[in-house]
This record gives sequence, C-alpha cells and structure tokens, in this order.
Amino acid sequence: MNLSVPNIVILIVIGLLGVGTYALLTVRNLIKVVVALQIMVKAAMLALVLAGRLQGQENLGQSLALTVIVADTIVAVVGLALAVQVRRVVGTLDLSALTTLRR
Amino acid sequence: MAMTWLTLTIGLPWLGALVIWLAGDRDEKFTHLLAVAFSVAAGVAALLLLPYGKERLVYSLPMGGVFGDFTFVVDGLGVFLAAIATVVGSLAVIFSVDYMHGEGQLPRYYAFVLFFIGGMAGLVLTSNLLLMFFFWEITALCSYALISFHNDDPKAVAGGIKALIITQLGGIGLLAGALLLYAYTGSNDFHVLLENPAILPAGVLAWMGFGCLIAAAAKSAQFPFQTWLPDAMEAPTPISALIHAATMVNAGVYLLARFYPAFAGVPGWREAVMIVGMLSALLAAVMAMVATDLKRVLAYSTISQLGFMVYAVGAGGVFASQFHLLSHSVFKALLFLAAGAVIHSVGTRDMRRMGGLGKDMPVTRAVFVIGGLALAGIPIFNGFWSKELILEAGLHENPLWLYALMVFVAGLTAFYTVRMISMVFYGEAHPERHVHDAGNAMKVALLPLAIGSLTTWLLAGPFGHLLAESLPAHHLEVHSTLAVVEEVITAPATYLALGVVALGWLAGWQRRRLSRVGQALSGVGKAAAESFGFEAINRGVVNATQKLAEALRVTQPGLLNWNVFAIVCAFLILLASLAVGGR
Amino acid sequence: MEAGVAFLLVVGLPLLGTPLIYLVGRLVERRKPGLNPARWVALLVLLAAFYPLAIALQVILDQGGPVSFSLGVIRLQLDGVGALLATLVLVLSVLVTLFSGPYLNREEHQEKFYALLSAMVGGMIGLGCATDLFNLWVWFELMAIASYPLVAFHRQTPAALEAGVKYLVQSAVGSALVLIGIALVFGQTGTLTLSAIRANAPLTPVMLAAGALFLIGFGVKAALVPLHTWLPDAHSQAPSGISAMLSGVVIEAGLIALLRALGALFAVSQLWGVFLLVFAALNMLLGNLMALRQTQVKRLLAFSSLSHMGYIVLGIGCAFAFGAPNAAAGGFFHVITHGLMKGLAFLAAGALLYAVYIANGKHQPLMVDDLDGAATRYPLAAFTLSVALLGLGGIPPLAGFMSKWQIFVGGFETRQTWAIVLVIFAALNSVLSLGYYAPLINRMYRHQPSSRIESGQPVSAWMNAALLILTLGVVVLGFWPSLVSWLTQPAAQSLLALLGG
Repeated sequence: MNLSVPNIVILIVIGLLGVGTYALLTVRNLIKVVVALQIMVKAAMLALVLAGRLQGQENLGQSLALTVIVADTIVAVVGLALAVQVRRVVGTLDLSALTTLRR
Repeated sequence: MAMTWLTLTIGLPWLGALVIWLAGDRDEKFTHLLAVAFSVAAGVAALLLLPYGKERLVYSLPMGGVFGDFTFVVDGLGVFLAAIATVVGSLAVIFSVDYMHGEGQLPRYYAFVLFFIGGMAGLVLTSNLLLMFFFWEITALCSYALISFHNDDPKAVAGGIKALIITQLGGIGLLAGALLLYAYTGSNDFHVLLENPAILPAGVLAWMGFGCLIAAAAKSAQFPFQTWLPDAMEAPTPISALIHAATMVNAGVYLLARFYPAFAGVPGWREAVMIVGMLSALLAAVMAMVATDLKRVLAYSTISQLGFMVYAVGAGGVFASQFHLLSHSVFKALLFLAAGAVIHSVGTRDMRRMGGLGKDMPVTRAVFVIGGLALAGIPIFNGFWSKELILEAGLHENPLWLYALMVFVAGLTAFYTVRMISMVFYGEAHPERHVHDAGNAMKVALLPLAIGSLTTWLLAGPFGHLLAESLPAHHLEVHSTLAVVEEVITAPATYLALGVVALGWLAGWQRRRLSRVGQALSGVGKAAAESFGFEAINRGVVNATQKLAEALRVTQPGLLNWNVFAIVCAFLILLASLAVGGR
Repeated sequence: MEAGVAFLLVVGLPLLGTPLIYLVGRLVERRKPGLNPARWVALLVLLAAFYPLAIALQVILDQGGPVSFSLGVIRLQLDGVGALLATLVLVLSVLVTLFSGPYLNREEHQEKFYALLSAMVGGMIGLGCATDLFNLWVWFELMAIASYPLVAFHRQTPAALEAGVKYLVQSAVGSALVLIGIALVFGQTGTLTLSAIRANAPLTPVMLAAGALFLIGFGVKAALVPLHTWLPDAHSQAPSGISAMLSGVVIEAGLIALLRALGALFAVSQLWGVFLLVFAALNMLLGNLMALRQTQVKRLLAFSSLSHMGYIVLGIGCAFAFGAPNAAAGGFFHVITHGLMKGLAFLAAGALLYAVYIANGKHQPLMVDDLDGAATRYPLAAFTLSVALLGLGGIPPLAGFMSKWQIFVGGFETRQTWAIVLVIFAALNSVLSLGYYAPLINRMYRHQPSSRIESGQPVSAWMNAALLILTLGVVVLGFWPSLVSWLTQPAAQSLLALLGG
C-alpha cells in the first residue's frame, strides 16, 4: 500500500473510527461520550469528502459533508443538553450511575 | 332460508355477547334474561338449520389473497355439531341463572359463553381452513377466559392459562396443516382435499395429517396433552359442562372425523390415531378410579370417553365416533350440571365430604344416576349403543390388542362410575349439613338432558343418513335405527363387552372387599394421582423456560458501554460472515 | 389539486406545522397560561395532512405506480411502502395527539412536545419517500433528532434522562455507521440515487462492508437483536403517547430505511435475506423471553415490541431471501396491525399510568401488580388493554392473528425447509408470548382492586376516545383482513420491485 493521499485519508478515517469506538467502549463520562460520537461522525465526513474526490464529484462530496455538520451539530447540542440535565437531576456525569434501567 | 338460519346460528350468540357486554353490570335479572333469550334463540336457529344438512349448501364471502373465500358449508356433520353447541349451550345458560346467582361481573361471564357458542358453531360450519383455525382459537380464548373467570383465585388463573397455552401449542399442528394446504393448493378450502387427497404430495399430506392429529389431541385433551382438562375444572360448573364436556373438547374428534378421507391413506396415521385414543382412554380411566374431586373424576372420564371417539375414528368408525360424540355430549353435560347442583348445594368438590346426599337431593340423584348409567354403557341408555358401535368398529381389520384394551377400559368406566355415584349419593350422610335440591332453572336444564340420555340413540338411523348423504367423501355405511339395534344385539362382541362392564360395575360396588387388590396396585394408584408423570413434565418445561428467561436478563445490564459493545460485536460478526460466506 | 403538489403537502404540512405549533403554543402560553392551544394546532395540522394524502393515494391506486416530485436535485417519490408508512404514521399520530392532551395536562412546555411530534411525523413520512441514500439519511436523522427530546420529555425524572441518553448515543452510533456506509457506496459507484446504485452496483468487498454498515446502522433504530438495548429503556420511560409512536411506527420506519438502503445493494450478496432471517429469529426469541419476567407494564410491552419486530422481519426476510410476495405483504400487514395493537397497548397502559400515578402527581413506572382489579374502576382502559394484548398474542378475532397468518403463509409458500422451520418457530414464540400477556389480563379482571387503582383519578374522555378508535381498528381488521390489502399489496410490490423481482 503506497502512501498516496487517498490511502492516507483512508487510514485517518479508520484511525478516527477506532478512536471513537474505543472511547465509546471505555469512557464513563457523558461529555466524553458525546466527544467520541463527534469523532466517529468526523471520520464519516472525511470519508464522504474522500469519496467525492475519488469519483471526481468534489462539490457533491463536500456539500454532503456540510449537511452532515449541520445534523451532527444538532445531535451534539441535544446530547450536551441532556448531559447538563443529567448533571442537574442525577448529580453526576458518570455512566455507571446511569444504570437504573436494567434487566 | 338456510342462509338466514346459518347467519343466526353464529350471529345471534355473538350479537348477544355484544349486547350483554354493552348493557353492563346494571341489573342482574336483566343480564340473565338477555343471555337466556339469545342462547335459546340461537338454539332454535340451529335446530331449524338441521333439515338443510342433507343438501350441503355452500355460502361464500370473498376475502381475497391468502385469506381465501370465507366459506360456510351446511352439511350433516356441521349442522349436527352446531345444534349440540347451541342447544347444550342454551341449557348451560339456563342452568347458570341459578348457579351464577349473585356473582359479580356477570356480563363478562355471559358474553364469553355466548361468544363461545357462536365460535363453536362457526368452527364446525366452515370449510375454509383458515377460518376453522380462526374459530378454533376463539373457542380456546373463551375457554381460557371462562376457566379463569374467578381471577382472584390463583388456581383458576393457572388453570386457564395452562389450558390456553397447551391447546395453542397443539394448535400449531392445525396451523401448519392449514399453511401447507394453502402453500400447495393456493386455496384454503379443504373440501378439494377431502375429495382428492392426491392433490398434495404424499409427504406433505403426511405432515398435515400428523399436524392435525397433534392439534386434535391438544384440543380434545388426549395423550400426551391431557393435563390441561383436569385443571380446567376450576371453571364455573356450567362451563365445564358446556365447553369441557359437550362441545369444545369435541372439536379435536370433529377435526379427525372431518379429515378422515384425506388422511386415512397416510401410512401409520390410523394406527397412531387409535393408539392415542387407547392411551388416553386407559390412562384417564385409571386416574378417574383414584381421584376424589368430583369434577376431576368427570374430567378424567371425559378424556377417557373422548379417547373412545378418537379410537373409533382411527378404526374407521367415523359414524360410531360421531354417534358416541352425540351421546357423550348429552350424558356428560347432564352429569356435569347435576354435579354442579351438588357442588352448589354442598359447597365442596371433595367426594369424601359428600356421601348420603341422595335423600335430600332426589331429583339430582335421579338424573345423575341416569347419566352415570349412560356413561358406564348399560343397555337402553344412549352411551351403551354408541360405545358398542365403537367397539365393533374396532373389530374390523384392526389390531386385536387395541380392541381388548378398549373393552378393558369399558370395564374400568363402570368401576369408577359406580364409585362416584355411591360416594356422592349413598353411604353415610353428614348430619350437620343443610343441603337443598336443584333450583327451578337448574331442573329446567337437567330434565331435557336426562330424557336425552335415555332416547338419543333412537336417532341413530336419521343421524346416519344425514351424515352419509352430505359427506360423500367419507363413504359412510349407515342403516336404520332398527338395523343398528339388531346389529348390536346380535353381535357376540356386545355380550363380551357387557360382561366386562358388569364385572367392573360389581367391582365398583364391592370395592371395599377388593381392598387387598387395591393395596397391591397402590403403586399404579399413586402414579395415576400424579397423572403418570405428565404434570411433572409440564412443570419442568415451565420452570426451564422461566429460568432461561431470568438468566437472559443479564444481557440487559443497563450500562451504555456494554450496549455499544453489543453493536460493535454484531457488526464484526456480520463482517466476518460476509468475508466467509462472500456473496 | 395536482398529485405532485398534494404529495409535497403530505411531507410538508407536518414540517411547516412544527414552528407554527411551537409559536402559537408559546405565545398563547405567555398571555394566558393553562390554555395550551398547541395540541389543537397540532391536531389540525396532522388532520389537514390527510386531505393531500388521500389525493396522492388516489393517484397511486389509479395509476398503479408511484407519485414523485422534484425539488431541485432532490427527488421524492411516494410508492407503496411510503404510502403505507405515511398513512399509518398520520393515523397513529392523530390519535396520540388526542390522547396526549389530557395525559400531559400537568406538564410544562407542552408546545415543545407537539412541535417535536409533528417534526418526527414529517421526518418519517419523508423517510418513506426518499429516493437517494443521503436524503434517506437526512430524513432518518430528522426523525431521530425529534425523538430524542421526546423520550426524555419528563426531564426531571432521572430514569427518563437515562433512557434519553442511551437512546441518543446508540442511535448516533448507528447513524455514523450509516454515513460511512454511504461514503463507501458513493466512493464505489459515484452516485447516491438508489435506483442507479441498484442498476450498477459493483460486486466488491467494499460494497459488502457497506451493506453490513447499513444493516447495523439502521438496525439499531429498527431494534434488531442484539442492537436493541436502548429500546426497553426508551419505550418504557417516554410519555405513553411517544411510547406508542416509537413502538408503533418509529422502529418500523427504521426498518423501512434499512430495506431501502439494503435493497439498493440487493445484488451484491445473497446473504442479506439470511441475515434478516437470523435477526428475526433472535428478535422473536429474546423479546419473548425477556418479556416473560418483567414487572413493569411498559417495559414488558417494549420487549414484546422486539418480538413483533421479529415477525415483521421474518416476513420481509422471506421476501429478501426467496422473493415471496405474500411474506412481504404479510410483513407490511403486520407493520399496520402491530402499529395499531402496540399503539393501543401503550396508550391503554398510559391511561392507567396516568390515572394511578401521573394524575396523583407521581412519576413512577406502572407495575404489573398495580393492574390488579383495574377493570372495576377503569373498565374501558382495562378492556382495550386486554384487546391489545390478545391481539399481540395472535388470538382471533383480532388483527394480529390475520397478519401473522399472512406472514406464515408467505413463509410456507417458499417451500423451503428453513423458512418453514422458522415459521413454526415463530408460531411457538407466539404461544410463548401468551405466557406474559394472559396473566396481565387476568390481573385486570380481579374483583379486588389494588390500592393504587382504588386511589386513582378518572380517565379523560379524550383518552378513551383514542383507545376506542384503535380498538375498533384492531377488531375490524381481525374480521375483515383484506380491508387494508390496498395498502399492503402495493407495498409488497414496491418492495419486490426494489429487489428487482
């Protein structure tokens, strides 16, 4: 595998995904979970831009990425708002405290 | 005109159910009145439908697609069973006027009884297998709802759910049969199959045949599904008489009889049916000999008698089975309702706490004894003729050992009948007890059934012709009543069976003197009281399922990281299988 | 009205209604607190959407083909599947709106509830009409984003917040996976249009990976086991009207998104159908077993949704694996009947929850024990809940029996051993499910009411109206199953056309 630009981007995408997934599996802080989600979506955005580039449709790829940014930001805002409310009502951001709904 | 009576037979009870439910809990008398009115009207409609049975009229309501045409066929088998359902149904409702007096939530009770009556009539009158399954499940629903009518009693709830689940489990056999029929013929109409079984490949036909056998065994409480019926005795007694003696439990026998022309040629099917019938008859009779709960004895005897009918179908005696079904419906409904009068009066179902009731309840004793004689197969009573016909059918090119066992069971029947009658009505009375005879509404319901137990055998000829003419695929051979009587009287086998019955009767009467034999057989008795281990199997399955369910709850630990882990794992497994399986 | 315009209005009305509902509700609330006009505006908007829907449906049925509309480069198309989804969503959302008025009367910020509900409805209708992958994702996100705050609507209740967090994170993971899948497909084919992808999808490993990503990503929303872990929490903690929507249409919408995306990759692998059938088996088994030991009513109903998703996927999976038209139609029929039955179950349970807890100022889960003797005081709620439960258990004469029958017929018609075994397995599961439905019914008809029931408040007539309408639907479809064939048959045809059959 030669280190051409697309291949490097692919590696970055895979790396970001790995980081995001690893974080989701291990971190217990709600804010960090939202950050991990963001990292995963960033990987996807990068992949979209790269796909547009590979197909010679850079405009389309980038506009897709822009749309994703909008949607993704709303999700992040809602997630953070929930985190704020969790901190207020439950008193902690630790995921292990959010295990009352089980079995 | 037939169309009108058909619609009324199914529609009137259902309309009644709706009206009673809507009328609500206001006035008890009004509720009773509505129920009696609707059920009697349905009974009249069904009786008016009877004469059309020979013409084999077909009514169809196009539904389209996989639902087929919703078809109703007015033929002999259908109208006869519909008449039993509605007539015994209306008698049970009349009986309930006294029996259920003062109970709460009466509209729910009557609504389900009427819903059941309509459903049962629909079950036997349709020729669309989907629709048959539809009604089949409706009767199961009503049976469940009525068994657990006293929802505050955990035993009643458990009995109801057990009945529902076991019959549903068996019902999958019928479902599979219906699905196979549609998948291979593109239609739900089973008459095509009855006329020409070869339209299905032999293997498929065999699956369908054994599926129907499973469904029939579950519905008719036959081996190995017999355990639900005794527990169903928690139902109010009129329900036991109607659903668990006279009508719904016959649906299995009906199914086998209906499909006999299609499956008779399936290798091993007839033998399997006979063995299922024999085992049920034998095991249940032994259980009835040791049970002390009056209703449970009757329940075991129902299983045993249904075993006779199933055996008869397997032996090729379709007419004999249906004739015994008629007799049994009448005398067993009578026995149950009379037992209901006793229970209502004494307040217990334990026969050991009864005894000597005959003096205070002369009418009840008289009708109960009539029913008992019919059950035991004593001559002149209707049970005698039909049981002899069954045993005779067993002699026609069928295994002799099965026949011998069935004759033995006839003896056991006489034994437990005598035991039951003497324990309840004779012997020492309990002085502190104040009992009263059956109420007026109860008597109104009991008398026709008692008369029926003495006379329905006179209908053998007309009934046979009704069946033969409208069921061409069955190739039934029938005779006039006189010829049937002559046939039974002249056959040597009759006297053999009668001798065994007499022995059983004698043994039952003198059972105290046989106590030593009883001790020798106490192991059998104990096994019988435990339902020969089938209860243990039921419990085992339920416990295993519950334990598995409880164990699985660890899969939901509630931790978000774990949830994401499950997603990641699923993704990796998909990727791996795609890598291996390729495209 | 022109068909295209009518179609655009079906999608547009709920979306345009969202700000309207919020603004009207907010402004009036400031001036005259307690009036809460938002729900009436929402009801009006949703009811108004029926008119253009009827016109569009008329055209579809007359032409026998889909109606489409283009907005610049974005093309929307209403085919059988979309029509079915739109109809069901609108019917259920109107009833939920009716129901939620009294249910939420003690809550603050009701206008947000209705505005989000309307947005979610718009998202779902749009999702059914998307013709390209990215659009599909956008509608899917719209639906999801609107539903997150709705799940956590009781924002002072820790459990509701917990459910909201899990739902949001798991859904977001799913949608990120979908996005990567889209990028893979886009990188391979250079197009996003579903029909174009279907026409020239290269048979490469990358496309296989994209398919797996779609299955998992949309599968999270469709609650396929083992991606389902958010569902019991979210469905049990959401306000009951939202539980009804989530269970009745949102997870089905997730499945439809999955079908659209996977349908485009149909030729790439023969394993898609197999995967779906495996998921079906897992869903049926796990859903039923988990429900068996639950002590909270809404959580039990949530697990039962898993098993019903299994029946639906069984039908759809048979269509994917064997091209069985009746199985597809049965699956879609079950989408309708399950929407009605589970909607009814959640609303009826919600009515009881409202009466015994919420109206008394408490936010607690409705326990199974609390149902004891419910019929003595709440005959209608108890009766309708019983009807819903029996229908879910596949007992006639209720709708669930008929839709299961159609799925099963479809499975048997394939004449494939494994399909037949799966159908028998499904039937066994259906029997098993009675093990937890039936005891609930028995409890409600006890003579002795529980203390909770005795201290309960009356149920509003609006709630009862919603329950009655749904009950009527469940019963009528049980007697007359072909009443909705005009919806299920075109949906099945559209699905099979999607699979190139």
